[in-house]
Amino acid sequence: MSERRRSVAIHVPVLTRVEGEGALDLRIDNGEIVQLRLRIFEPPRFFEKFLEGRSYTEIPDMVARICGICPVAYQATAAQALERLFGVELGPWARAMRRVFYCGEWIQSHSLHIHLLAAPDFFGCNSVIELARIAPQEVRRGLRIQALGNELMDLFGARSVHPVGIRVGGFHGAPSVERIGDIRDKLRAALPEAEALIRWAAGIAVPQDDQDFVCVAMRHPLDYAIECGDIGASDGLHIGAEAYDEHFAECHEPHSTALFSSYRQRPYLVGPLARLNLNHERLPPRIKALLAATGLVLPSRNLFHSLLARAVEILLALHEALRLLDGYRVPDSPWVPVAPRAGVATGCTEAPRGLLWHRYEMDADGCVVSARIVPPTSQNQARIEEDLRLSLLDFGLDRPDEALRLHCEKVIRNYDPCISCATHFLRMKVERT
Amino acid sequence: MSGVRILGIGSPSGDDQAGWLVVDALLAGGLDDIDIDKLDRPGASLIPMLENAAWVILIDAMQGSGRVGGIQRFDRKDWPDYRHGLSSHGFGVLAALSLARELGSLPPRLDLYGIEIGSTNPGEDAAAVIAAAAQQLARRIADELPRTGR
Repeated sequence: MSERRRSVAIHVPVLTRVEGEGALDLRIDNGEIVQLRLRIFEPPRFFEKFLEGRSYTEIPDMVARICGICPVAYQATAAQALERLFGVELGPWARAMRRVFYCGEWIQSHSLHIHLLAAPDFFGCNSVIELARIAPQEVRRGLRIQALGNELMDLFGARSVHPVGIRVGGFHGAPSVERIGDIRDKLRAALPEAEALIRWAAGIAVPQDDQDFVCVAMRHPLDYAIECGDIGASDGLHIGAEAYDEHFAECHEPHSTALFSSYRQRPYLVGPLARLNLNHERLPPRIKALLAATGLVLPSRNLFHSLLARAVEILLALHEALRLLDGYRVPDSPWVPVAPRAGVATGCTEAPRGLLWHRYEMDADGCVVSARIVPPTSQNQARIEEDLRLSLLDFGLDRPDEALRLHCEKVIRNYDPCISCATHFLRMKVERT
Repeated sequence: MSGVRILGIGSPSGDDQAGWLVVDALLAGGLDDIDIDKLDRPGASLIPMLENAAWVILIDAMQGSGRVGGIQRFDRKDWPDYRHGLSSHGFGVLAALSLARELGSLPPRLDLYGIEIGSTNPGEDAAAVIAAAAQQLARRIADELPRTGR
């Protein structure tokens, strides 16, 4: 075995196939990692500040603008938080359709990430365009599934990018029975495609990895939690959204415009694998059986199983949308009246990339006094750096620079980081003498 | 299979409406039996819209190739190789066309037009020079369409 120790400096100036703009700095001196930073330099976007003074009626549409990939997550979380504060009880139709709407987002976001962003890594391809040369049928299938997710979002949100469907108290409108009948046919036709996707994803050779990390995801007594539930962790934590702040902390690091989150002073994982690890018992029997046939043992401590977890959640979302649209009727009203009140509103849902938490302080007129939004990528950022460190040590620091760079990128993309969502305003302390 | 399909790509941001303005001008001129649509940054969803048509005409805004208001037509051989990694944020027309080519989804005839643009401020109208270029390109496209398709 070689005893040679070397110094390496790897800088990936712009990470590709992630949402938004970030970079990676890695420095190895004498065979030891001395610097490893996921640097998020996308400018802060001030969204929380924009919300101050705005009426509750504007919030769902404003927060939908935070992300072009997961706008429903932002809308649904804001509406849920405000409805809880205002004492609003959604009708059964709106409750069910919130979940259906959210399923559309999971389907499109997950399919996009699997096929356009993550899968090329596991086939030695630089992009989906190269992947399409060796797996054209699979890429076509992925595009069809993604388009179906977009169509479902468009149905309830009037458009799939930055939709405008949700209002505090329900939805602005209800799709016709005919349109629902049409989408149900398409959802049903997509089931075998999603099952084939799971089998394909399970067959992709991924690096073996075994890391110790805490999973955090929402939990629901009956359902695989998406749009409602409490917050749970793999160490047994079980809290309501209002207690999030007592257990989770955020801090700034100088190299990032995103906040770093920690739980009991440690990084933690949110996202598809955390959800599957915690909630796989809530999957419908048919999906459970399919998952068992893949041989995946849960809970998994290999983050590279995230791609398969996304595929499983696509099938779940198709099943859930079909189940909830069975016997669809247009309601008398898609929303219930709302009377604002002053107080603090908290809410959380499971965005495609993981737990999304909102907190609003509202005045008596229903206007925002202050807002705080904790997106999944902030919560995963410390975990990504921890994973990179462990993965590199496992991979071998003596590998060629290009191999190290590719491995780091593969690890980062695995988390599907949405850097645009995660950037925050850097709090400044000015001292004058 | 549809005969001719015309797709104007844009966004509601100043000159970036160029592709939409061409569609507006074509519609104002009266077209029958033509599949025509405006798209807002379609990303990968452009690919299925290229299928099941004999001839697709794509119009988009472009920057960096000359004077504002200039019109260019690109043949397939003129498309640069798409070598970058992709994010969905950056999945533009060239990426979609490159992927469609790999998937065999390109139509038998594809005309890609670009209108050179300047300012793209959200909510602003397109500049007069862009509106004029859109009218000019619409006339050029209309002249090329088969008579039965007008």
